Amino acid sequence: MSATARQWLERIRALPLPDRVRIMNVCGGHERSISMAGLRGTLPPQVELIPGPGCPVCVCPEEDVYHAMQIALQDPEVIVVSFGDMLRVPVNLPLKETRSLEQAKAAGGDVRPVASPTEAVEIARANPGRRVVFFAAGFETTTAPVAAMLAGDPPENLLVLLAGRRTWPAVAMLLESEDRSFDALIAPGHVATVMGPEEWDFVVEQHRLPAAVAGFHPESLLAATYSVLRQLVEGKCFLDNCYPEVARPGGNATARRFLDETMDVIDAGWRGIGTIPASGYGLREHLAARDARRHFPDYGAHDRKRAGLMPKGCDCARVVLGKIYPNQCRIYGSACTPRTPVGPCMVSDEGACRIWWSNGIRTREVA
Amino acid sequence: MCLGIPMQVVAVDGFMARCEAKGVERDVSLFMMQDEPVAVGEYVMVHVGYAIQKMTEQEARSAWEIYDEMLGDVAEA
Ligand code: SF4
Repeated sequence: MSATARQWLERIRALPLPDRVRIMNVCGGHERSISMAGLRGTLPPQVELIPGPGCPVCVCPEEDVYHAMQIALQDPEVIVVSFGDMLRVPVNLPLKETRSLEQAKAAGGDVRPVASPTEAVEIARANPGRRVVFFAAGFETTTAPVAAMLAGDPPENLLVLLAGRRTWPAVAMLLESEDRSFDALIAPGHVATVMGPEEWDFVVEQHRLPAAVAGFHPESLLAATYSVLRQLVEGKCFLDNCYPEVARPGGNATARRFLDETMDVIDAGWRGIGTIPASGYGLREHLAARDARRHFPDYGAHDRKRAGLMPKGCDCARVVLGKIYPNQCRIYGSACTPRTPVGPCMVSDEGACRIWWSNGIRTREVA
Repeated sequence: MCLGIPMQVVAVDGFMARCEAKGVERDVSLFMMQDEPVAVGEYVMVHVGYAIQKMTEQEARSAWEIYDEMLGDVAEA
């Protein structure tokens, strides 16, 4: 039996900790568990848990959302499907204009939420005379199922507008930046389940930072927290795996094969952050006929005011990069709440602002 | 969307499985489990409708505890 949460906390408290340790997580699921279980309040005050780039909806390029909206608006015969979170992300247009996929639907576009790539296939089957565009944003855990769906030979009228992103290149970029904002990493358990924990070796080998793969239970997260703190204290870094039953060596080989067969790794844009090398997925040449990017004109309207940026006043980019906490955004809880979200981090269930707000953090702090 | 949910397999038909978690049933694709066939009664971690890995009953149960709280939270939101 593994130790209980209390035992992990006792072990953590017994460590001779430095004055300040910042541990970054890069997974919305981790951040939810940490916030829900109130782990921050139970750890010694020197230990900071920082939410980093863990929300694929938050970093999906604004131009891609705009593009998907235009596809739906220009031709009502086309059905645009996407994960529910994506439908509410606002683009940078004046308030009275159509600003999200949800509003594009209200304006006459056929836009539908799906919970799985299999639902996109069902919609395409049920509408053989119409083109169905699956706007697919997500990290490896979501992009691999999209790849599996493509490998399963879906109906020809199903196209994909792919906005898949890889997690580790964003962490690599943060580690290479001059003002690195964390001292240890908790690596995402389900990304490691699909891609293999080895993907995170570089954190230890190239950057000499403690790292541990964690699952989603508070005990697993505390085990990982203890592991990285102990690595730090002892000055011996290694990639620990605190989710070994599920995140196995090599990951899911079938899933990785489907990714290789259907997608190329490409340089990709992250909203408000810019292009990160080798951080995205694009459909391979043999799937060109299914690639909505080649099929439709580029509707991204890149010359719009603030195209590609975060909304005015929104600090999502710095939240995503772990430079500030969500409630340090200047409009957290005032102009921006889940009811009237300004930035994508308040829209998505994986957005750090949304998670903090729904866990009762209502007061703003000055950064 | 990015939340993995452990489910128990109740029926398998080719690459599709009927899976159950806490009384809720869903169709789940086993297409990514081809190197590790899944049998009725086993537990899988499900992500956007696809099983991404097998897990033990004990792991599934301990994961459900926290999802209980989360789903309650979502229902209230
Ligand atoms: S509070 Fe709203 S505007 Fe501020 S960073 Fe979060 S999502 Fe963006």
